[in-house]
Amino acid sequence: MADAGSGKTGWRATGHLLGLVAPGVIWIVVFLVAPAAYLMSIAFMTNGSYGLPELPFTWAAFKQLAGYGFLGWSPANLYVVGRTLVQTVLATGLVVVIAYPVAYYISRAPARLRPLMLLLVVVPSWTNQVIRAIGWMNILAPGTPLSDLAAALGLISPHMGLYPSQFAVALGLVYNFLPFMVLPLYAVFERLDTAQIDAARDLGAGVWGAFRHGVLPQTLPGLLAGTVLVAIPAFGMYVIPELLGGGKNLMLGSLVARQFAAASNWPFGAAAALIMILATLAGLVVLRRLGRRLGGDAGVML
Amino acid sequence: MTYFKKTLGLVAAALMLVAGPAAAAGKADTLYLFSWSQYMDPALIKAFEKRYDVDVVQNYYESMPEMFAKLQAGGAQQYDVIVPSNYYVPRLIDTGLIQALDKSKLGHLDNIAERFADPAYDSHNSYTVPYQWGDTGIAYNTDKLPDAPDSWAILFDPAINSDYPFALATDAQVVFGAACAWLGKPYDCTGRDAWKAAAREVLATKARDNFAAFNDGTPVLRQLARGNVAAGMTFNGDFTYYKSENPEAFKNIEFVVPKEGTELWVDVMAIPAKAPHPDLAHKFIDFLLEAKNGAQLSNHTYYASPNAAARPYLDDALTHPPAQPTPEQMKALHYIPSLSGDDLQFVQQLWTEVQSR
Amino acid sequence: MWYALLVLLYAPLAVVVVYSFNSVNSSADFVGVSLRWYRALFADDTILAAAWNSAVLALVSSMLATAIGTALGYGMYAHRARRLGWLIWLIYLPIIMPDIVYGIAQLSFFSRLAAATQIFDLGLGTMIIAHVSFQAPFVALLVYSRLVGLDPRLFDACSDLYANAWQRARFFILPTLQPAIVAGFFLALTLSIDDFVISYFTSGPESVTLPIFIWSAIKRGISPEINAIATLMIGTVLAAAAITLAFQYVRHRQSGE
Repeated sequence: MADAGSGKTGWRATGHLLGLVAPGVIWIVVFLVAPAAYLMSIAFMTNGSYGLPELPFTWAAFKQLAGYGFLGWSPANLYVVGRTLVQTVLATGLVVVIAYPVAYYISRAPARLRPLMLLLVVVPSWTNQVIRAIGWMNILAPGTPLSDLAAALGLISPHMGLYPSQFAVALGLVYNFLPFMVLPLYAVFERLDTAQIDAARDLGAGVWGAFRHGVLPQTLPGLLAGTVLVAIPAFGMYVIPELLGGGKNLMLGSLVARQFAAASNWPFGAAAALIMILATLAGLVVLRRLGRRLGGDAGVML
Repeated sequence: MTYFKKTLGLVAAALMLVAGPAAAAGKADTLYLFSWSQYMDPALIKAFEKRYDVDVVQNYYESMPEMFAKLQAGGAQQYDVIVPSNYYVPRLIDTGLIQALDKSKLGHLDNIAERFADPAYDSHNSYTVPYQWGDTGIAYNTDKLPDAPDSWAILFDPAINSDYPFALATDAQVVFGAACAWLGKPYDCTGRDAWKAAAREVLATKARDNFAAFNDGTPVLRQLARGNVAAGMTFNGDFTYYKSENPEAFKNIEFVVPKEGTELWVDVMAIPAKAPHPDLAHKFIDFLLEAKNGAQLSNHTYYASPNAAARPYLDDALTHPPAQPTPEQMKALHYIPSLSGDDLQFVQQLWTEVQSR
Repeated sequence: MWYALLVLLYAPLAVVVVYSFNSVNSSADFVGVSLRWYRALFADDTILAAAWNSAVLALVSSMLATAIGTALGYGMYAHRARRLGWLIWLIYLPIIMPDIVYGIAQLSFFSRLAAATQIFDLGLGTMIIAHVSFQAPFVALLVYSRLVGLDPRLFDACSDLYANAWQRARFFILPTLQPAIVAGFFLALTLSIDDFVISYFTSGPESVTLPIFIWSAIKRGISPEINAIATLMIGTVLAAAAITLAFQYVRHRQSGE
């Protein structure tokens, strides 16, 4: 690069850099970092009598988050966090189980068909997530064939629907995030070195052994990248639990949103949001470490 | 290079896009109305727009907490007229979210019926003008629940409905009141012990297999019509409106006023503190106070009118139940208490607890 | 198995399309084919206004984000020898932040700001601002990765050819980056169209977009018109997919011969 080259460093290059990145940096700092910082400060404020933040600064919101309120200690918030974690892990696991064979299948298909197949997997995610949720609401409502079938099999009590329920939320999450796992997995499968699998099989490994020693190590970077793309947004998901859960299986995203959109307790909502960000960052760091330890391709990860 | 021309063209197109609707509208002013859904006659809006050569933009909410949260998050300076319920009026005044009315601009104020002239929630109507009044009850499917009594048992007693999906409302005080009444206390119960008992009852109900969802009064009627739920809490007028709109779908759906007692409410019109068009807002309120307009509103929504002058123009349907509760039912109707301070926070924490479990 | 997957992927969309033609309001019964919900749709001004708002929001925010993001991506590449860790963090921040936190942060910030200053009232303006702030980083990364794939010697050659930075930008950098910029624009467009949560929390009384309209319609109790709107939106997406496929096919043919 001419401007950044060894010859012309100093003020001019710095000016060039700042000229280019300033609009973006200022935009993000003013319209995202500042609001986020303000939100974080709200978490340490007092809840005014009608839900708006007030001074002085206090830990009250975090105490409430930990379960201490007028009722003494209560595990309600732990339920929410636990439910969110379970749904996240469940959805991510199911997505992995479905995405693995799909990605493999696409990578083995004739080359000219592969773009079409990938497109078919991705296209539903181009629609808005609210629309995808409506589809499931239509399918899982009481009285629909699927609900009647589930009732006939004794999975749900008769006259009830599969929606709204925890099951509908899990299904919605899997549906929503499947493409985000298929794409990175497909990218690694495409470069799969089959010699390693053959070697494993020659050494007497069964199907599972061949997968563990031949396929898994090679596809790990894609798996981790997919996990980042699926688990992190699933953890903070708002739309799916809200629409498919009937408002009775609260997840963390809804708990946060309600403090601003219905219940009015900004400090409590901000404190929960802070916890959410910290959990997200922790998740990222863990996955990244895991990726490095297992010798994955660092480029796939953040 | 045509690259820049293209870019310029795109930017110009973008600017036209943004400017487009503003230039096309061309009306003198816009009134922003923030109200319950399904609560206004479109013909009245058209008439108002025509008389004052303005546009009316409507936004909707389904519950009081939703409205209050939106007002706090910037809505107080974006809406001109809001339609809160009686029990939220004191906290709207306390928080400075609504402004005192300029009564010199409300020529038809005398049309308000005696009963609503000096209400407890807003003495001498300094901040609010009554809009409609009604009660909260239960709508249920008579095919699925043929033996249902006129009681909160439809929702809270597993013996009455053990199989069919049902819903409760999303507003803490509305649901706690119902639970209190079911537990033998008055609907307008207060005090921590009463609320805790109510919360336990709601939690037990929520844990039942056939509890479907928390659904507000207007939406739940559509769920009933579609067969998604068999019972839910709703309002007398909305029920009658939907039934008249779609008699086929509501053939087997009935409305009852629970005998243990339930909510009597008055919805009022108010002007947010920093409303962008307070003058127009006064004109709108006065417009709806006119005898014929007040009657037209009630004839459309099937809610009782607090407008005494409108009475001669009211449809027959509005003179008997469910629009007009019987004197006997009236005895069991209560206003929801208006809460503030620790009591309010207590109820809200309890409700978050109920929803989180 | 592949076909089972396709059923899973497309059944919800297909059901929406089918029920949009249902002559009665029910999710359990399909009685007859009717266009009544579409007629209701096109007679409704608020829905048309919502469609208009959606288009304005998507196009304006994508254009702004493309301009800002391209400069950002190019700046990162041109000065990649420097320590830009802070910049990378800044760019990843919007990408990793849960959108619900994003939405409420901007809601609380803008609404407080609006109360104090009378500008930044929630509406299309704040929605565009919010959208650009999460679109621009994606565009920047796309442009950056495209530049990394180029041969650095090209830049040296070009600096020999053209005297000043302006000419370089005009005759070399922008044309070279054109595919990445176009791809970035469409990525930004997709992100904007897919977003609901951030739009929802930064919207005002007059800036209802289609997803927000549908959301509040669901909250009012699902009505069949929603299926009709959703069908039109699905149709748009499928058309876009078909165009993408056609382009790929043409390119494939050209490179093949």
